[in-house]
Amino acid sequence: MTLSTGTREYLLGFADDEHMIGARHTSWIGLGPFLEEDLAFCSIAQDELGHAIALYELLLDDQPDTDLDAFAMLRDPVDYRSCHLAERECGAWNDSLVRHWLYDRAEQLRWTSLLESSNERLAALAARALREEAFHVEHAAQFMARVAPSQPAQILESITTLLPIAAGIWDAVAGEPEALADGVATASSAQLAEQWELAVRTDLADWNLDIEWPDDTSTADVGEAQGARRRRSDGFDELQADLRKVIDLDPSARW
Amino acid sequence: MHRYEVFLKKPGREEFRHAGTLDAPDPEMAMLLARETHSRRGEGAEMWLVDREHVLVGDDAHLAVNDDKPHRHNDGSLVAARRKQEREERA
Repeated sequence: MTLSTGTREYLLGFADDEHMIGARHTSWIGLGPFLEEDLAFCSIAQDELGHAIALYELLLDDQPDTDLDAFAMLRDPVDYRSCHLAERECGAWNDSLVRHWLYDRAEQLRWTSLLESSNERLAALAARALREEAFHVEHAAQFMARVAPSQPAQILESITTLLPIAAGIWDAVAGEPEALADGVATASSAQLAEQWELAVRTDLADWNLDIEWPDDTSTADVGEAQGARRRRSDGFDELQADLRKVIDLDPSARW
Repeated sequence: MHRYEVFLKKPGREEFRHAGTLDAPDPEMAMLLARETHSRRGEGAEMWLVDREHVLVGDDAHLAVNDDKPHRHNDGSLVAARRKQEREERA
């Protein structure tokens, strides 16, 4: 099936988000706060990478000569459409946990909106992804709910820092209106952003976390920095260099 | 943290079997994590978690064999010897 340019960019934004967040999550392999959480978190990372692969496959369906690994890892930075939250290095567990919660709240809404996509393959993929996403969201929420009562300063700080950056998930690519017109996307980023804000605010209230919602200026700053997802965040080059390490050894290797 | 013993049962008439152990802060979280640690590959159709605190443990002294009661260790040799003798007598 041929996808319009706008739809391609729209799907690329989601695929790159999944790829980057999955890659970032995997940095906890062997380092999780305890063994069981290590396994759970890295399993989530694997799921996200799986979603990324499925979306890349959809994008490359009509380009049989393009290698998926090369496409995923060797593009010019300007050709990625990931949001800065997904790209960000979260070296501290509290940052990773908070990002996991904010991202998966959003991801669940994104997949849900794609259940009704005019692209049947995408709709089927959404149904599959949502089964995993239910676990991701529950995992994040359960973990946060247990951490929250003691109001640890690190968690509050992580939320305050990451909330405006997370709003950048809803920074739409230029192609979004076309994806909506094609019926491939069924909800605009602005509409999903409203649902997301409600879900996140409800969580914060449930956990008695007193966090001031970021003002429009700070979210606008993130939108400005991302430039409709065309600009990469600081640190992206190092991340990509890391991702490329193996493929660069021998780009023609078959695994 | 609490320690939980994980039991899994495959479909059909198989019994529950001990699958391993996991640490979690509470029962709800234990159930959530157990899925990832022990049944990600469909190892079981049913799962039990038991808080280690609730397991009654028999210690070594409790389980030590009484070595002054040889009659509890019947290996059938006496009966076999007697039957052999009877066979030989009949022959």
